[in-house]
Formats: sequence, structure tokens, C-alpha cells
Amino acid sequence: MEETSDHPNPTTDTPGTTPEPDLETMRSSKPGLKRLLITTTVLFSFLSGLPFLWKSVEIYRSQLPFHDIDSLSDQVKSAPLRFPCTFHAVFVGFGSNDPDQLRSEIQDGVNQLIGESSQCGSCNVSISVTVQSPDELCSETFPSTCSYRCGVIKRDSFGRGLDDAVDESLDDVFSGCSGGIGKMYSVVVVNKENGDEVKAVVGKRRHAWIVGSGLEERFGEVVGRVSEVFVKVFMNGGREEGDSIRGEFMPVGSDGRLVLSFSLLNSNPRDWIYDWDFQRIDEALLAPVTKALAPIANISVESQVLYHTPKSSFSSWDEKLQSYIFRTSDLPFFVNSNEWHLDTSAGASGRSKILQFVVYIPSGKECPLHLQLPNEEISKTNGFISPMWGGVIVWNPRSCDKDSESPSTNTISPQDLEKIVEVFLGQFRQLFGFKSEATYTSELGSYKILPSERGFTEWELDVLSRKHTCFNLRSCATTLGSLSRLVQSLPRMIIKDEIGEQVKYSLKAAKLAQSNASLGGYSSSASSSREARSLAENAFFHPSIMSVSYFSYEHCFAVYSPFFLPVAGHVVLAALREWRRYKQEKAKYLTWLTRKKAA
Amino acid sequence: MARTVLTWWIPLLILQSFLLAIAFGSNEVEEEFSESLLLKPLPDRKVLAHFHFENRAPPSNSHGRHHHLFPKAISQLVQKFRVKEMELSFTQGPWNHEHWGGSDTLSSMNAKPVGVELWAVFDVPRSEVDTSWKNLTHALSGLFCASINFLESSTSYAAPTWGFGRSSDKLRYGSLPREAVCTENLTPWLKLLPCRDKDGISALMNRPSVYRGFYHSQRLHLSMIDSGMLLEQSLTVVLQPDTVYDGKDLQPSWSLSSLFGRKVVGKCVLAKSSNVYLQMEGLAHPEAHTLLKNEEFELSIKPDRTLRETSSVLFIFDIDKSSDSEPFDLSLTWKLPSKWSCQQAPLHASRFLMGSGNERGAIAILLKATESQDKLSGKDITNGGRCRIKANVFQIFPWYVKVYYHTLQIFVDQQQNTSSEVLKKINVSPSADKMSSGMMEMMLELPCEVKSVAISIEYDKGFLHIDEYPPDANQGFDIPSALISFPDHHASLDFKEELSTLPLLSKFKDKSLVRSYTEVLLVPLTTPDFSMPYNVITITCTVFALYFGSLLNALRRRIGEEERFLKSKGKKTGGLKQLLSRFTAKIRGRPVESPSSEPTAAAQSSVLSSKLLFKIILVAGVAAAWQYFSTDK
Repeated sequence: MEETSDHPNPTTDTPGTTPEPDLETMRSSKPGLKRLLITTTVLFSFLSGLPFLWKSVEIYRSQLPFHDIDSLSDQVKSAPLRFPCTFHAVFVGFGSNDPDQLRSEIQDGVNQLIGESSQCGSCNVSISVTVQSPDELCSETFPSTCSYRCGVIKRDSFGRGLDDAVDESLDDVFSGCSGGIGKMYSVVVVNKENGDEVKAVVGKRRHAWIVGSGLEERFGEVVGRVSEVFVKVFMNGGREEGDSIRGEFMPVGSDGRLVLSFSLLNSNPRDWIYDWDFQRIDEALLAPVTKALAPIANISVESQVLYHTPKSSFSSWDEKLQSYIFRTSDLPFFVNSNEWHLDTSAGASGRSKILQFVVYIPSGKECPLHLQLPNEEISKTNGFISPMWGGVIVWNPRSCDKDSESPSTNTISPQDLEKIVEVFLGQFRQLFGFKSEATYTSELGSYKILPSERGFTEWELDVLSRKHTCFNLRSCATTLGSLSRLVQSLPRMIIKDEIGEQVKYSLKAAKLAQSNASLGGYSSSASSSREARSLAENAFFHPSIMSVSYFSYEHCFAVYSPFFLPVAGHVVLAALREWRRYKQEKAKYLTWLTRKKAA
Repeated sequence: MARTVLTWWIPLLILQSFLLAIAFGSNEVEEEFSESLLLKPLPDRKVLAHFHFENRAPPSNSHGRHHHLFPKAISQLVQKFRVKEMELSFTQGPWNHEHWGGSDTLSSMNAKPVGVELWAVFDVPRSEVDTSWKNLTHALSGLFCASINFLESSTSYAAPTWGFGRSSDKLRYGSLPREAVCTENLTPWLKLLPCRDKDGISALMNRPSVYRGFYHSQRLHLSMIDSGMLLEQSLTVVLQPDTVYDGKDLQPSWSLSSLFGRKVVGKCVLAKSSNVYLQMEGLAHPEAHTLLKNEEFELSIKPDRTLRETSSVLFIFDIDKSSDSEPFDLSLTWKLPSKWSCQQAPLHASRFLMGSGNERGAIAILLKATESQDKLSGKDITNGGRCRIKANVFQIFPWYVKVYYHTLQIFVDQQQNTSSEVLKKINVSPSADKMSSGMMEMMLELPCEVKSVAISIEYDKGFLHIDEYPPDANQGFDIPSALISFPDHHASLDFKEELSTLPLLSKFKDKSLVRSYTEVLLVPLTTPDFSMPYNVITITCTVFALYFGSLLNALRRRIGEEERFLKSKGKKTGGLKQLLSRFTAKIRGRPVESPSSEPTAAAQSSVLSSKLLFKIILVAGVAAAWQYFSTDK
């Protein structure tokens, strides 16, 4: 039926071709507008409906601030974050030196050491110098950042006694110096009268001192060392530039949490069983460390004892050393992921980082077990670390003789346990990129570094929070950048409001971190950068991005084309024909009119 | 291990201030682990092996978060979700209540429904129980490599009040009958044991022999007790010893190595006690069986102790003495044919579907009296001079099985019974579509001499949304097992001798509720043709488009003009054309217009072909544009 009614259509258009002679070229009546109106209204109603249809098939996309994201990543890339740091040098017992000249010399030294490549998380240095002459007269650079009371440091009595006590006394001296923006680091140089060798110590707080005689004569060297302490130690945390552990490694989860999982592995409990009292270690030794690191990461500690956990590499008997040896080349195969069930931590949620610390007790067949270094020496700690994974310590029992048939349960003695924890802390520091040695050596000499009972000294924590802020901001910027690239590349992907909000808040937190950093708020910028990173990661890993497949064009086309394609054909063609016919007829009418007028 | 391991020599970090004098004392309460294995010949020539591991930890508030034997994962689970009691079981194969026992402790504790069953009691405010449950299912799902997380949705779990045998308003129960249980579930379960399967009794768990069995159920029960946490892990397997049938009707002889393909070479050194038990039922002369050899059977190893019970004898072996050179390989050799029957539950429960078609049906639960009922009825409490059996029925219905609770009918000995006579208590929570599953709890009180009880209830099958169908929807949908428990019947082993503190035996001595699970039902639902939406869209759209197009054409048709035009045409028409016009006229029911239209054939065809060409070009253009547009993306 439909086909046949469709068929006459073309014939309706043809009358113009072969009518009677007079009808062919003209008509006497005005052409009707009815059909043209009908078809055009239908066409227009279709056209006006299109936006509604478009709106209805549109998928929900929360507006992401693409521009802000781009500007943030540009900022992070082009201008590395810098914190204001104040360096204060006090020269005691120097007679003939102008503080302003000293300052410019130190400034030169500092600039030389910082060099061209300004690392992210470094300092915007401002230096002030105080010179105290042997007769206790002071001259300062202006503006003075610190109210150092002249004559508090006595030239001769300084540096006697324990280093810790000196450190404490310096803290009292500079206690009034908290003013100004950023953290304030000080170096005291004491030129003594009686002959002492030069000694340089870096304290637990933010102070260092160089004590010696005849320093005024070796003036250039002293200035060099002062600037070295400022840049290499206080600013960079005593890390080497070419360290293979890159500064970007920050073993903190993206939600700002870090789980330290300690495991004691009895490789063969049939030989001997060792146990530990970890509760006490946790309370006495680890709690101060986790407290000290609280601004950088939320650290939790857990422990377990595992049995039947052989290592997966082989060890060989060394006759000379009377022990079993495993070499550094064996280390990649030491961790036995099949038998060491270290994982499974319900405490670690989602994206927190787990650092595994493993104490491995060798079985009777491989006891004592030692790590041989490439230089044929035996490692003193008998342990190694794997960056971003954790550390392993091999602990040999006192005696390697199997006592009897039934193994007895022993507890690792407190002294041994303390040693193990010391090695742990060293490994932990290394995982954060610090040295585990108590000295720092450079070309100009070596510095003694006072270790803190909290594992990290204050200036080290400053370095950490600077690096951490920088790392967080960088990772936040890259995460948001990839999110915006992803979103822009998939125009039909649903983006929920939550994601948009998370991105917004993340950008806000990043801005706050940047402004806090420029104001010198170390912990506040660290915490807001942490927030920025975790929000960015939350947005990127939002379940709706991962799981909801987008409503594709193909689907849309498949659903709507069976109706709209044929109907649109009809409507458009009908309107076109009517319009053509109307023009034709009107032309005819006009010719008729002109002929009538002429007639 | 993909990560690169860098090596660092770490010189000693000298932390002087660390040399604190820390007084290390010994713990007052120790963590305890014990392992045991119970072997039991079954009347139908099979052997049951029941591994039982018990791990006790003192309360965490006094002892802290650091454990020595107790698995870290479980204690973290308890702390995080505040679990008070929890049981998780993975089961494959149905438990044969007739031959393997129905009312003893072993079967009422370890006969579990097929698939995964999880119930947990939480120690949180009532409003947070559901959240805790959801989180717990996810955590367990990750821990045990199983799809327990499907129990998260509110349509798959229920909160039983009293029908489950444990009354608490913070209890949640759910089961997944479809879950396939295999070695990937056993490995994480073994990881919770301090010796895993490296040493001790668990070394017997040779995967091929364990999974070859007729029944396999791995259970984990965690409970908070006064003295801390108690984690019980048990694995029950029913195995068929490989023997040739010798025609003498002798029970098959077996040894541990023939059953499992492995031997025990020593206890797990961390276990406080490590025992193997052999339970023999239905012996002819129970007095004589303290001997290693007797006329009925022979054991290869002399038992360390023998315990007598009312109907069985228990031989206890200590595996301390075994070693690599002298492995513990217990074997049992039968000499005389022997027959016995197991203790049966008062009623044997089975469940089946009735009705046909894809619209409605009925579920029937049939309780049949067992042989043992006469024996047991003597023990029953007499209620008003009449002997009664109490039975609780607990059943969960998925929401797409829409049960009409008014159609509940109870037939006692094939006589329809008015409900109040036997039905003492009923609790129904109806299901809500796509929101929650339905639950029915019934308490029946039946006369002891009852032969059979049938409970039937009718249901309509619901329709699921197209997204809600699981893959392979045509297989059908499972209705979880119903639980029948007998609150007045308690299973326990009653030993004549004074018991030492052997964990498994003290467990058996405790009275436990007699319970049995029914089969899982498979309900076929109407499954749609999943391409149907597109078909429907296409056909309706085509019809609409045709209607619309013809309507539009009819509106702008000029009939007068057409007729005029046709009249002006010459009379010569092609035979075919005339035939066609006549035919169309016939269809339209109009008289044949004799001066039929006759455009010159050439003009007609040229017009047609140009139009056709135009249409083809249009379609091709649209297609090309579409192609360009879609590939551009």
C-alpha cells in the first residue's frame, strides 16, 4: 500500500513538462501556499526538535578546569618550587672582617654550589652574617634577621664537652631567631686561640659549628665550608647529586599513608624457632620515628612472624670465612615471593604504600649466612634494601648448632633486637634518600653529623618536607594532566560531578601549597600538597571512570537512525519539491499577469 | 618479581641514645596452635578425613597488634570490622546424610551447603552492621580469592532472627550456591596456618587427592571468647579408598598414604598438640578393641589411647614420634565384613521444585522420618504427655522468586494440616524487588510418630532488568539451601573416660545443634533474547517512518491535478503498465481509469533512474560522512 501511494509522487511534479500549451507556461490563479506551508512547518518542527534531541542524548560531563590544570603543570614544570630559607653565619673571634664582605663571599660560594640547575624543593637563600671580634664587639649585616646577643658565645669555652650539649646550648642562643619567613639555619665559626684541629659538627636541630684555631688565616677555606654546610647539608640533606636513588623516590602512598610491615622469617622452624617482642620495639624505638615523620606521612606499624620461608637464592660455603656466603649478584633472587607471604594487610587501604622490613633467620643448612660485598668484604649489617619495596636483614643465631631433636623456641635478645632496629632505621633513612652514615665528607673536609634518637634530625625533616611538597605537587600536576588529556580524548565519557569537585579541590590545595611554600610554611605546604596529590589520584582512579563504558556514537546512531533517517529523507524531499513547484507556479502566474497587462 | 633490587651496604648507624635499657619480660598469655586429624570409616565404603586446626590468641587490648602465630590478616580483619563471630565455608559436593551421619557433631558442624556460606556477628551499633558486612565481604573476597563480594548487595543476604539457631540482631547471613571451590581457595586458607602445608598434618593435603573426593568442605570459624580470639580452621573430605572389590563384602582397607598419596613425617613444630584420631562406629565387640589386632580389623600403629563412647570407639595417635625415617602412616585392614549405620537426624530433609512453565511454580520441603527416630524419641521432652519433635526451617528467597506466603501449606503424613497445629511460630520478611531478599523462618512442632512432613509454598517468577542477568543466564538461578535445625536435639560425643585437654575432642564434647542443609534448587527464569531491544527499536522505527512518510505524501498530493494530467495523456499504454494500473485499481477498489496515465516510457524511466540515482548518492553520501565522522574519533 505504502509503496503504491509513494509512486504517484513523481508524476505530480511532471505536469509542468507536458500540459496544454497555455497551461504549460502560465496560470490564471495565484498558486496555493497550503502544501508548502505544511511541508515547511513539518521540516521546521523537525529542525527545531534537533537541539532537544541532541540535548537528550548528551551524556553528563562535569566541567573540568582544563585551563587551570594546564597552567598548574606549566608552573610546576617551568618554575620549580622554592622555599625561603634564612642562613645565618656567626663568626666568633674574627678581628678584621667586614660582615657585608663576608656575606657576599658566602653568597658567591652558595650560588656556585647551587649552580644553574635549581632543583625542585630547594631554597630561596637569604644570608646574614654576624662577626664577633675577639674583644666581643659585634658587627652585623643589615637587615639583621636574628637578634644574636653579642658575646653569648664565648670564644674559648665554646665547643668543650659533648657535642650534644653544645647543640643544646646553640639552640638556646638562637632561640630568639624564629622570626622571619622560612626556617632559619645557623653556622657558628669559632676561631680559637690555642691550637686545636678544625672540627665541624652538624647538630640535631638546625645548627652547625666549625671550631678550630687559626681560622682567620685560612679565611677562604672557612667561607667555602660555611657555604658548603648551607647548601650541601642544610639544603640538600647531604645527598649526593649522582645518587642512584633518585630524589623523586618518596616511599609514601598517594593517600599520604605508609605502612611499615615488619616480618620475622624463620626459614626452617625444624632447626630453631626465634620469636621477638615486637610490641616493646614498637613502643620504645619506632614510635618516636613515626611521630617525627608525622607531617610527611601517616605511618602505621605492623608485624608478623612467618615460618617455613626459605630464601630462593643459593649460598655457598666459604672455607676462609667459615660461613655461608651470598653475593650481591644473588640479591635479586633472595626475596622468595612464592613462600614469603608478606603481603595481605587489611590495615593498608587502597593506595597506601607498604614498606616491608624482613628479618631472615637462616636454617641450619645455611648458618651462618653472610652477605659478601663486591670488594670481598663481609657486610657489617648483613642486609640490603630494595627501593620502594623495603629492606632485608639476615640475622644469624648465636650458635649454629642444632641443640636437640625438638627445636626450642627462643626470643631474640633485646641487645640483638636493638641492633636490628638500628639497621632498620638506617635502611629506612636510605629509602627516604638519606645517608645512613654519621659523617658527611666533601673535598674540603668531613663533617660529623649528630644522629637524632628520632631517626631524622630537624634539618633532615625540613629537607624531607621540602622534597615531599615538591614531589607531591609534581605528581599532582602530572596526574591531573593525564586526567585532562584522557577526558579530552574521550568526548563521550561520562564525568561525574564528584570528579569535577575533586579536581577543583585538588587544584585549590595545590595553589595553597604553593603559596604556603613561598611563605615558608613547611608543614602546612607539605600537608596541603599531600591533600592535592591524594585528591588528584582519587579523581583519576574514580570508579566511574574505570568502569562506566561511555555511551558511544555507534549506539546512538543504531538507536535513532531507523526512524530519523527515512523520515528526514521524506520531509526534506517533500519540502524541496513543494518549494520548487511553488516557484514554478509563481513564475507561471507572473507571466500570466504580465500577458494580461499587456493584453 | 619484577622489581629491581639494588644493593646497598649499610654501615652501622650509631644511635647512642638507642641503648635504652628495655626490660623484656615474658608474656603472661601465649598464642597457641594445635592441629588434629580425625579419620572415620563410613558405612558406604568411604573414609571421612576431618582436619582441624585451632589458633588461639589472647585479647588484643592486652597483647597489642603484634602476633607470633596468629595470622595477621585475620586479626586485622577483626580489628577493622569489629567481628564478634564469623564463619566462612567453601563446599563442593553434597553431604550424604543417610550414610555419613546426620546427628553427630561432625556432620552437624561440618555438613555445609554447596558453594560459599558466610555468616558474621558484629560488635558495632545496629545501624552500622550492614556497612561492616559489606566491607567484610570485600575483604574476605580478596583474602580468599573468591567472589564473596557478591554477598555485598542487599539482595543476597538476610538478617535471621531466631531461625538460624543464633539469635542476635547483629547477625548477617548469606550464601553463594554457584561458587566453584578449588585450590585457589585452599591456598590462602592454608596461608593462615603457621606451618601452611609444609609440615605436620596439613602436609597431607595433596591437592589432587583432596579434590578427587566426594565431598570437600573448608571452613573457617572465628570467635571472640573470654580469653581472646579463637580461630578454627577445618577441612572435611570424604574419600573413596582405591580397592578392588573382592566380592566378600569387606570394607575397603586403607592407609594414609593410599588415601592422600603422602605421609606425615612429623608434627608442625609450632603446634602445641598434634594428634590423629580414628573413630570406629558400630563395632561388634567394643570391649576387645583396645588391642592392636583383633578378629575384625588390624591397625598398623598402636594407638596411644583408646576412648569409648556410647556407639563408637576412638583411637588416639600422637604423631610426635614420627620422623623422616619413620613416617606416620596409619593403615586399617578389615578382616571381617562389617556393617553399621550412622546416627541419623530425627528427620531427613530434602527440597524440590514443583510446577512447570516460566511463570510460576512451587517449592516443597519434604521432611521424612528416619530410622533413628525411634531411638531418639525416647530422649525427647514430652509435651503434655505427647512426644514432640521441634524443627526450625530457615530459608532465603531471592527477590526474583516472588513467594506468596499465604499459599504456605503443611502436610503431615499426607494430610493437610491447619497451620496452627504444627506451626508454632513463623517469621516472614517479604522481599522487595531489587532491594532485598525474602526470608522465612518457621518453627514446627511435630508428633514423634510422624512419617513425613511436606511444606509447600507457591511463587511467581520475576523479571529481571536486562543488566541484571548474569552471564549464561540460561543455566538458571540458584535458590540457596534451606537450613533445618532441631533445637531440642544436640549432638555431642559422650566419652566414658575423663577427657584431657585435646582441642578437637573438647570441641566434640560440647553440645552442638543438630542441623542439616537441603539441596540447592535451580530455577529456570525466562531469559530474553539479549539483542531484542535493538530489534524492537528497528522494527518500530521503520513502521513509524513508513507511516510518517506516506502521511506526508498524502497531505501534499494534488488529486485534481493528477487526474487532469492523466486525462491529457494519450490512450496508448504498454500492456504491462495497463495491467499494473488495473491491478492497483482492483486493490484500491476503484473503477479502472480507462484513460490511464502514460508517460513516455523513456521519460518515466529517466525520471525514475535520476531519482534512484539521487537517492543512492544521498545514502552513499550519508554513509561516507558517517564513516569519516566515526573513524575520525
